[in-house]
Amino acid sequence: MDFKKFVVVISVFLFAFTVKAQDDAAVTFEMKLSKNKLGLNERLRVDFTMNKDGDNFIPPDFSGFRVLMGPSQSISSSWINGVRSYSKTYSYTLAPTAKGKFRINQATIVIDGEVYKSLAEDIEVNTAVDKPSDEMSADDVADENLHLVAEVSKSDPYLNEAITVVYKLYVSPSISVSNYQPLDNPTYNNFWSQDIKVTALNAQNGTFQGKPYRYVILKRVVLYPQKSGKLEIEPLSLDVTVDVPTSKRDFFGGRVYAQTNKTVSAGNRIIEVKALPLKNQPADFNGAVGDFQFSVTTSKTSLNATESLQAKVEVSGKGNLKLFKLPELELPSSLEVYEPEFTEGVRTTLGGMEGVVSNSYTVVPAFRGKYPLPSIPFSFFNPKTETYTTLNSEEIVINVLQGPNSIANTGVAADNTNKRNVIAANTQFNFIKLDANLSPIGSSYFFRSNPFYLLLFGPLLFIPIAILFRKKRDEIASDVVGNKVKKANRLARRYLSKAKKELGNKESFYVALEKALHNYLKAKLKIETSEFSKDKISELLLQKKVDAETINGFVELLKNCEAARYSPFSNVQMQQDYEKASEVISLIDKQV
Amino acid sequence: MKNSIVIFLLLFGFIGSAKDTPVFEQATAAYNEGAYEKAIDLYSTILEDGQHSAALYYNLGNSYYKLNDIPNSIYFYEKALLLAPNDAEIRNNLGYAQQMTLDAIGTLPETGLSRFYKDITNALHFDQWAYLAVAVMFLFVLLYILFYYFRYSSRKRWAFIGSLTCLFVSLVTVAFAYIAQNDFNADRPAIIFADEIEIQAEPNATSDAVFVLHAGTKVNVLEELNDWKRIRLTDGKTGWVASEHLRVLKDF
Repeated sequence: MDFKKFVVVISVFLFAFTVKAQDDAAVTFEMKLSKNKLGLNERLRVDFTMNKDGDNFIPPDFSGFRVLMGPSQSISSSWINGVRSYSKTYSYTLAPTAKGKFRINQATIVIDGEVYKSLAEDIEVNTAVDKPSDEMSADDVADENLHLVAEVSKSDPYLNEAITVVYKLYVSPSISVSNYQPLDNPTYNNFWSQDIKVTALNAQNGTFQGKPYRYVILKRVVLYPQKSGKLEIEPLSLDVTVDVPTSKRDFFGGRVYAQTNKTVSAGNRIIEVKALPLKNQPADFNGAVGDFQFSVTTSKTSLNATESLQAKVEVSGKGNLKLFKLPELELPSSLEVYEPEFTEGVRTTLGGMEGVVSNSYTVVPAFRGKYPLPSIPFSFFNPKTETYTTLNSEEIVINVLQGPNSIANTGVAADNTNKRNVIAANTQFNFIKLDANLSPIGSSYFFRSNPFYLLLFGPLLFIPIAILFRKKRDEIASDVVGNKVKKANRLARRYLSKAKKELGNKESFYVALEKALHNYLKAKLKIETSEFSKDKISELLLQKKVDAETINGFVELLKNCEAARYSPFSNVQMQQDYEKASEVISLIDKQV
Repeated sequence: MKNSIVIFLLLFGFIGSAKDTPVFEQATAAYNEGAYEKAIDLYSTILEDGQHSAALYYNLGNSYYKLNDIPNSIYFYEKALLLAPNDAEIRNNLGYAQQMTLDAIGTLPETGLSRFYKDITNALHFDQWAYLAVAVMFLFVLLYILFYYFRYSSRKRWAFIGSLTCLFVSLVTVAFAYIAQNDFNADRPAIIFADEIEIQAEPNATSDAVFVLHAGTKVNVLEELNDWKRIRLTDGKTGWVASEHLRVLKDF
């Protein structure tokens, strides 16, 4: 029991504290004026508002004003989510009595035993106005309290940089809009535009020219300027039906509203579009403005011939994604490539376009080998940093491992070096050659060189030589006697050459001469050395019908040879003997 | 004197080969281990020594192919083909390298007559035509002398006809050699080395771009002006390109 009591006490305490804390923080007592400046024929409404009930309210003396009505009291009290809000208002309607500056002094009130005071405020009363605000027509009030504004995110964007235009309709709390209709939808010439649909009109609180207003976003457009220079955004015009409160009141004291149609338009806006800087502009720049990532990927890097692979060129990020062409993939011409398939996943938000665009190429290699996809550049202009950025994709090498057998033996184009060589599907990439077989660099050609001319025309010389040779031979053949002499001389030369060398040297000359004569006979008569005597020689020669004189000469010579060994012989004699020997030999030769 | 120079050159060449062959083998080993850059360095030292061969250029082409260097590999394969025009291995690997290029250039169709004429004159290298001319000339001289020496008129007649035919053939062969050499000199192939290069209409940077070429494309140099070369593609297009963007194949 004790415990239960304790819990109750604690909870009561806590509750009391929270209530107290709330009350302490929130006590306000304010004076609100409907306007600070007014004409002499206008009226002023003064409200004293407090958020907690108080007693003993003492209004200020409204010097310079006459109280037309009041004080009238209104109390509102509500509980929202367990939080109580309370307000109590004393209202006065005043009419100025003179021109000039007046001050409405403090009012006091006692709340929870404490005295609160409002702040004093100055009022300026001017000469009478033509149309006192209280008597303004519904149109005038609507004019003053309804504004259509086009908010442009950036008035000096770069070419192709996203800007947003937001159309807001500001409505003062004193009037209410019951309907609106667009009269003229702007065409955004020289802009690429995308409307961002406004699905629900949400009234929000904001300020317009320092006064509290409610506003509604009617239209949001993202624009990409496509031309540099001054571009105009056409105004948006709306026909708005408004309910304007009148000064009349109905039976229950509520205001009577008048309905009126108002045409509002957001004024023309001039956008100064800056051209992209030409300085440092990359050669491959194709109008991409924003902040992007770039990549080239293939679905596989090694495959068999006639299989297909996907090569994807992809740009992702923020910027004018739909407004530029993707860089083209460069592929070896020996690959079969089909038209790329373009895909885009781009969302357009107030910040501009965002997402991915890609080109997907289907590639089918026909032959085995390596196929490099070279690195391709993609350049864009980043309006934030105001610089150009170039991104390069990575080089990819596709390996085709096996060629199909069906295209085997396509053959090597052998005759013309200009033709593209087609690889037979079943041939491998060959290994290097192992035999160096080196030769010095710098070739000299045989054709039109000196040896060439020599070898070409040299043989022609043989023709006259051959002709001359033939003629000479014929001549020689026709001269019979001369021929015989020549023959004998030749014989003598052959046998007596050794003797001739020894001329002047007696001993060896005659030895050589004798030997020569013997040799001659040996060759001519075919006799053996053993049966070699002068008689025998004479006999043999006789048999061969050699005349006696010649035989005598021959024998005489042999005798001389023998005698010379023992007796002195002069050089003259030797010469004579030599000549005689040659004469005799040639004579014998003729006769045998 | 001349002979002695030739012999000296030959000897020098042998000395050079003797020195460079171990380097070649080192390079082969490096290639086989996958050290392609080292292999390229070694092969290049042989080239700097003034030695070359189809095999050397082919191996360089292979090394560059392995490093995915398209223009260099095509450049060296084409050089190898200049030295060994009918090597199937080189053609095969050149085909692999050409698959990596971006440009596909068609060839102009040739008329029947010009193709026939080209087929004949290019059937042999002009040096081969020259050797043939010399051989046939020898034959002519031999037959003519025989004609002179023969006794019987029938033999004389055949020898005479044969010799005259040989003389005619020899002269025609020289003409073919001449035409083939002219063709050879007019053919100045080059390889584009710039990744992507605009070919200009005039030999200056301010003129219009006619078309775009990519690395590894083979072109033919027609003429030169300052640092610009006029090139022709196999499909007949011509244009000017700065010399620094291409390398001529016949620099030996």
